[in-house]
Amino acid sequence: MNALAAIGEILVLLGTFFYFLSALGLIRMPDVYNRMQTSTKSATLGSLGVLVGVGIWALGTDFGSIPWLTKTVVIAVFLLLTNPISAHALIRAAYKSGIPLWEGSVVDRYREHLEAKEKEKVEAPEGAEETPAEEGGEE
Amino acid sequence: MLKRALAIISLLIIGYWLAQGLAGVPFGEDKMLVGQYYLDHVKEQTGAVNAVTAVVVNYRGFDTLGEVTVLFIASTGVGALLWRRKKKRTAKTEGSIVLTTGTRLLVPFVMLFGAYIFIHGHLTPGGGFPGGATIATAFLLLYLAFITYEIPHKGFEKTEGLAGMGYVLVGLIGLAIGGYFLFDWIWQTWNFGTENIGRLFSGGFIPIIYTIIGLKVGTELSGIIDNMLKEEVSE
Repeated sequence: MNALAAIGEILVLLGTFFYFLSALGLIRMPDVYNRMQTSTKSATLGSLGVLVGVGIWALGTDFGSIPWLTKTVVIAVFLLLTNPISAHALIRAAYKSGIPLWEGSVVDRYREHLEAKEKEKVEAPEGAEETPAEEGGEE
Repeated sequence: MLKRALAIISLLIIGYWLAQGLAGVPFGEDKMLVGQYYLDHVKEQTGAVNAVTAVVVNYRGFDTLGEVTVLFIASTGVGALLWRRKKKRTAKTEGSIVLTTGTRLLVPFVMLFGAYIFIHGHLTPGGGFPGGATIATAFLLLYLAFITYEIPHKGFEKTEGLAGMGYVLVGLIGLAIGGYFLFDWIWQTWNFGTENIGRLFSGGFIPIIYTIIGLKVGTELSGIIDNMLKEEVSE
């Protein structure tokens, strides 16, 4: 009974801590890509912790029930699936609109890849740009 | 600079004036006249647990009919303004593979959730308008992730019209049975679901009307998106 509430409280605390870290990363990091990295990852994890924690916490109290936990888990799974996709789309759009990397960045394989591709298809003008997606989204 | 200062000053005056007016309104006090009636009678009169949807669909269904009409006019107006003989989608870049795969995975769930919202309008927060907007979001997702996606126009426009007619038809049946437009015949005359208030099969005609509104709003907003995303093709 109370163990469930305690576990839930700890999870919520962890989640809010990760929220705080994500907000901190948003201020602290030097460029868009690093900010995105810190904020999305820790915000996703923080939401998971808070949501599942709230569900378990409610189970431990007298008003909680299994549907509570089910709802929070469904929301958590939805966030887990959608947050990385939106982060990927945002980052890719940022790169495509020409936002520069941090000046301390060492290597930009995606640009090299794009330039190689550009050179490749001088004779073939029409082409899809589906393959670079894997590299483009990550960082 | 002068313009901006004048605008700020006049906005401040208007804001102060409104705040003066609102200062006399007793917020949070027990001054409900009609509201208390709604809260006291909503269950036995409409069968809905969600008082908001009961008010919106049942007590003041005429306003909702007006809102649906406004949406319909908006959709028709956008269609009329952006009307061209040849229109095509001119999106240049497909979404990345992560986005398209994610969209493929998520769209059914988004639609399911939209349907859940409008079917459970009498039990949970929401109703036809949020549910329909959620369904339209699924179509927007498809439009944004794929270059060539287009809604099936024939079916969509017919569904929109039929749903609007369905709403009026439900109201007219109420007129025939109960004597006034949008009379809740399922609840008042048939007594359908009176014993399970708070479950899915209750709420009189609220779920039916909200299903109709959800379909209508979903197809309408999708149609507006479709109209706005297409561009003229010159030949």
